[in-house]
Amino acid sequence: MKSGIKAALVVLAAGSATRFGHSTNKVWLPLSGRRIISRSLINAAKNFKQARIILVINPDDEVIALETIKREMAGLKIEIVYGGATRHESEHNALEYLAPAINSGEVEVVLIHDGARPLATPALFVEIADAAHLHGGAIPTIAVSPREMDMARNDTVVRVQTPQGFIASQLLQAYTKAATDGFIGTDTAACMEKYFPEVKTVAITADASNVKITYPQDLAIAEHVLAKRGYKD
Amino acid sequence: MEAELNCAHCHQETLHELVYAGRLLVSTTCSLCNTRVEHETNDLWDIYLKDLPHRIATKPIRMWRSFRRSPSKSFWALPRATFGKPFKMFKEYRNLKKKSE
Repeated sequence: MKSGIKAALVVLAAGSATRFGHSTNKVWLPLSGRRIISRSLINAAKNFKQARIILVINPDDEVIALETIKREMAGLKIEIVYGGATRHESEHNALEYLAPAINSGEVEVVLIHDGARPLATPALFVEIADAAHLHGGAIPTIAVSPREMDMARNDTVVRVQTPQGFIASQLLQAYTKAATDGFIGTDTAACMEKYFPEVKTVAITADASNVKITYPQDLAIAEHVLAKRGYKD
Repeated sequence: MEAELNCAHCHQETLHELVYAGRLLVSTTCSLCNTRVEHETNDLWDIYLKDLPHRIATKPIRMWRSFRRSPSKSFWALPRATFGKPFKMFKEYRNLKKKSE
């Protein structure tokens, strides 16, 4: 069933990497017949009735972005926003673009997702949006294995993924304050934690298959996961 | 095809060259240290042969979508795509064979 939450889905793909006039940003790589970013956007939008879909790109990638949207995401209404020099700046640009809709109440929840995570399922996006709407914030997490970190508090440390969802008005305020203070957060949750420590951000148990494409091996893993899923989601 | 990826060997984000067979990744090579990451050979052939019927089965719908998107461009591209298909398949076969040698 599709979610009726008034959400904005922000997908970040602004990494800068160009060579001889063509982009070498990994989000434009094919993954089992479709570009990584297409899979991220389609999964993000699939289970929402009325979501705004924002793709944050490097201005140099506009041509490839428009071509990809036309070829692989023809059914989606995607709005393009230019990113900044850092992830934080790209998030801020997207939120400023959404500011009129947030202030008018057209957007209640914002989900920010890394475009290089093409295996986040449509169900996860809805779960994060629902939890953020209810509690103020939600992030997908997976447990850290005691073999990875030798420490006594491994039950309180988790590995954080995206999409990360927050109440839109608070998120916009947090990024506006961060811009004034010159604060740069490592991710969305870090900025919210600094300016709205009272907001309850719940951890949603996610799946280890929601990999971020970073190493060449991650592409092979993602291919296997997609084959197992029958190339759906 | 090229993309910036982190190399597990030289621990840097470097340009990698990627080789595909159809829609499957065959190998990646780091441009800095030449580290090559490959699929397991048998596994790759197995996946490729399993994937091929799926590609063939979904081709008509993919072609239809392409025609609906831009009819004239698709129409004019059809002869070249049709005659080029055997060469494309041969290239895929060659990439896989080279990998298994």
